[in-house]
Amino acid sequence: MTDDSPLGLVTAVVTGSLLLLGAGLAATGALGLLRLGSFYERLHATTLGTTLGMGSVLIASMFFFSVLQTRPVIHELVITVVMMVTTPISLMLLVRAALYRDRREGSREVPPAP
Amino acid sequence: MSGATIDSLLLLGAVVLPFIGALAAGLLPTHARNAAAWLAGAVSLGAFLLLCTVYQAVTAGGVVRLELEWMPSLGLAFVLRADGLATVFGGLVTGMGALVVLYARYYMAAEDPVPRFFAFLLAFMGSMLGIVVSGNLVQIAFFWELTSLFSFLLIAYRHHIAAARDGARMALTVTAAGGLALFSGFLVLGHIAGGFDLDVVLGAGSQIHAHPLYPVALILILLGAFTKSAQFPFHFWLPQAMTAPTPVSAYLHSATLVKAGVFLMARLWPVLSGTDAWFWTVGTAGAITLLVGAYIAIFQHDLKGLLAYSTISHLGLITLLLGLDSELAMVAAIFHTLNHATFKASLFMAAGIIEHETGTRDIRRLSGLNRFMPFTARLALVAAAAMAGVPLLNGFLSKEMFFATALTADEPLPLGLKLLPVTAVVASAFSVTYSLRFIHGTFFGPDPTDVPSMPHEPPAWMRLPVELLVLACIMVGVLPAATIGPLLDVAARSVLGETTPEYSLVVWHGLTRPLVMSTIALALGVTLYLALQRHLRRGVEIVPFLGALSARRLFDRAMVFLSWRLARSIDRVFGTRRLQPQLRLVVCVALVLAAAAAFVRGVGPGNIAPSEVDPVLAIVWAIGASCALGAAVTAKLHRFAALVMLGGAGIVTCITFVWFSAPDLALTQLLVEIVTTVLLLLGLRWLPQRKDGAGAQRRPLIERVGRLRDFGIAATAGVGMAALAYAVMVRMPPELLAQHYLARAYTEGGGTNVVNVILVDFRGFDTLGEITVLCAVALTTYALLRRFRPAPESVQLPAQQLDQIALDAARPEPRRGRLVADWLLVPSLIGRLLFPAIGIFAVFLLLRGHDEPGGGFVAGLTASVAIIIQYMLMGTEWVEARVRVLPLRWMGGGLLFAAGTGIGAWFFGYPFLTSYFGYVRLPLVGEVPAASALLFDIGVFALVFGATVLMLIALAHQSVRGRRATPALDATAPSPRVAVGAATGDD
Repeated sequence: MTDDSPLGLVTAVVTGSLLLLGAGLAATGALGLLRLGSFYERLHATTLGTTLGMGSVLIASMFFFSVLQTRPVIHELVITVVMMVTTPISLMLLVRAALYRDRREGSREVPPAP
Repeated sequence: MSGATIDSLLLLGAVVLPFIGALAAGLLPTHARNAAAWLAGAVSLGAFLLLCTVYQAVTAGGVVRLELEWMPSLGLAFVLRADGLATVFGGLVTGMGALVVLYARYYMAAEDPVPRFFAFLLAFMGSMLGIVVSGNLVQIAFFWELTSLFSFLLIAYRHHIAAARDGARMALTVTAAGGLALFSGFLVLGHIAGGFDLDVVLGAGSQIHAHPLYPVALILILLGAFTKSAQFPFHFWLPQAMTAPTPVSAYLHSATLVKAGVFLMARLWPVLSGTDAWFWTVGTAGAITLLVGAYIAIFQHDLKGLLAYSTISHLGLITLLLGLDSELAMVAAIFHTLNHATFKASLFMAAGIIEHETGTRDIRRLSGLNRFMPFTARLALVAAAAMAGVPLLNGFLSKEMFFATALTADEPLPLGLKLLPVTAVVASAFSVTYSLRFIHGTFFGPDPTDVPSMPHEPPAWMRLPVELLVLACIMVGVLPAATIGPLLDVAARSVLGETTPEYSLVVWHGLTRPLVMSTIALALGVTLYLALQRHLRRGVEIVPFLGALSARRLFDRAMVFLSWRLARSIDRVFGTRRLQPQLRLVVCVALVLAAAAAFVRGVGPGNIAPSEVDPVLAIVWAIGASCALGAAVTAKLHRFAALVMLGGAGIVTCITFVWFSAPDLALTQLLVEIVTTVLLLLGLRWLPQRKDGAGAQRRPLIERVGRLRDFGIAATAGVGMAALAYAVMVRMPPELLAQHYLARAYTEGGGTNVVNVILVDFRGFDTLGEITVLCAVALTTYALLRRFRPAPESVQLPAQQLDQIALDAARPEPRRGRLVADWLLVPSLIGRLLFPAIGIFAVFLLLRGHDEPGGGFVAGLTASVAIIIQYMLMGTEWVEARVRVLPLRWMGGGLLFAAGTGIGAWFFGYPFLTSYFGYVRLPLVGEVPAASALLFDIGVFALVFGATVLMLIALAHQSVRGRRATPALDATAPSPRVAVGAATGDD
């Protein structure tokens, strides 16, 4: 990236708002992590950042670099795919572990085993 | 005479051949008795013939010399130097070796692992030859220690017998300690003479005598020679070493090992002798050894013990001759060395035959064997007569020479006493007595009644070496000038040069004083034997008068003190079994040293102005720092949380690397973090739980003070590290190594990724060392975990496994192990799908490593992550039923591959690990850069992958094994499964 390359206003606005949107979603998720009561609720909060928030940042990146290099830059798609594949694994592991423990402890917040 | 003449190459061949033979013999199957014997015999004979050829050159033209570069930067060359003395000794070593091999073939039992024996024997022969023909002091010391080592292995050949182990250990302790003294003495001598080359040293005689360090060098060198040649007071190891198989005794303790010390004294005789110090030390030690050895030998009941003490006594005789500072004595010493080797080796072999046939070596039980093995008896009789110094045998001639020199030598004794002739006669009488005892006690008298097996003649081939040696005794005894004359002349001349005295090698000198002395000694010896009959019959073990004076007991006490009491008390004072004090000590030492360095050299300001603080990076660092602090705070009671926060700190480090444009480091850091976290997580389960109950009441004061101190140490160390890093980062030396690397990475290493080029090319040797260490660490981890017994409270199965077992017990067979599988169905499916993707990514990282971020290390870690995910999600048993990783092969293969790539450079005439790069045209892809460094990187990859997976598997198997160790549960679940993710598709 060179400093003196003139970025169009449109590009700047689009990129900026996408980035802000992503950062805002991630911040909201973080806030939720802090505020929400139960583990299962908090889990939802984190997904904001990893799905839509991450997506906005990636789109911003694709758009920005495509304009900058005047060719389509789509590396970010790989990141998207990897994120899509791996995030569910970790979340599911967490939820399963929590659910298992709650059931063993006989917590009334979770439905009993089928 | 430097440069490689044919003769010098033959000499090199003679030295190298036994080692090659040893290697080959060692690789033979355990019971390949004949093959090993043939090989060993051929090698010994080959070396012998090579030395014969060299001998021709030596007689014709002086010294054969070969000089090869060894450590040119230190001025050390590998020098082989064969003169008369060296060649004659070398011929003795190899010729005797061939005879011993033949003898050993029949002596060793069929069930013994004979190839090992011959391998050690050949290696020993090579080391002995090395001592003899080395032309460099350091090299002599090197081969000297090699002989100590191989003699240790030979003596301890029957290592299942405690006495053999003890004897071998004692021999090694004494001779190797002497070897160290010898080495230091050589260093002093080389310092005095101005070089380690033997020719330089031998040419600096007057300089050495005059130097103030001469006594130091002399004492140290003599310590080495005396320990090796079993001189009083270091003689005690030799009788203990008689636990060796008899061929070893015949070889080591008559002809070779113990003669090394004598050889060395003869070798350095021209430059070390001629002073009072030499006369008193060498002469006294020799005289005492001569008398004491002969005296003790009379009272030995073990045939080999008798021979051992007799050997000690004869070595004392040779040493005494060397100490006398007369040229004639020198000739006599060499002569007696050769004679002693022949008759003593044959006597040892005869003793071995007797033991082989009767099953015992105890003179008190043996008797009358003359009727059962008449031929062996005749041979032993002749050899023993040579030992006693009976006329017409070789022992007689050298004894005459000894008497002659004893009469003429100057003795700087007060009062004009002449002790030497008396000593000589008394010692000779003793030797007559023990020779008589050997023969009379064993072969004459009534038939033996108390032997384990009834004896008969041994196989003819086993007797052949004895026959040859006895023949040599007789031939030399009858026709000395025609047989041994030329050899002796060449050997003596090479030591004495111009000053070689006139001596006559004839049997009959007329009625001279030495002859009278001989006669007196013979008569005295026979009388003594008759007089001692009664005492010897009683079979008492203790030697009269000298029983209390046991050097061996002193040695044992010293060993117990050193290796047991002293070690224990030092351990008590300085040692600890707890981890905390050890760590504290390590950290404190590092702190003190670093502080001292800063204090002594001073710390100035750097020459680079620090850049502005970037707020974003500052925030990131704040997060990292809080993670680290949080980890420290929670580490005691909440290990899991601490681990998570440690990961957070690691990620911040990783981001910092990215921030400062170090993608390679960032990538590596990221993967290391992942793998470390996972491995630590797996280990967590085995740590004992800590209870938070004690927090309520206040801790005692001393504990709080201790904690405060530990906190202080930790904080100081951390701040110190930070300060050190800061100090390094704010200065830029004018000549930075990094600039050199940056400039040459592409032109000389053929890669644009400088980090990778440094790792695999510029500093490839370092990397090779590092991966070797990694290998060792992984193997150590594996070994430690194999024997790991977890704390009792963590042996209990986790809830999930218990549930699984209960479920398995309740449900029919096909549903076994399904509980967790059902729980983690989706993650494990995705995880399985990820396996090929991660694998491809690893290969991608490996291949692009030379030019872009990546490389073998990162690729190896990535690939291991792929495996780790499978283990975690699918369970140990499921994975191992499908993928066998065989980490040891990966590691070994990787190491071999990396080293092999380095060695490959040799074949193109470049130094080790020189890398080649160029471009290769591939179909479809076109021209791609190719460097041999990539091959090296593949080796790194395989090793890192194997090492990581090995540690993982070691941890994973813990959970399987820990479960099996619980017998109560085994009863309910005969085939337990690993429940952390069990099979999904195998039913």
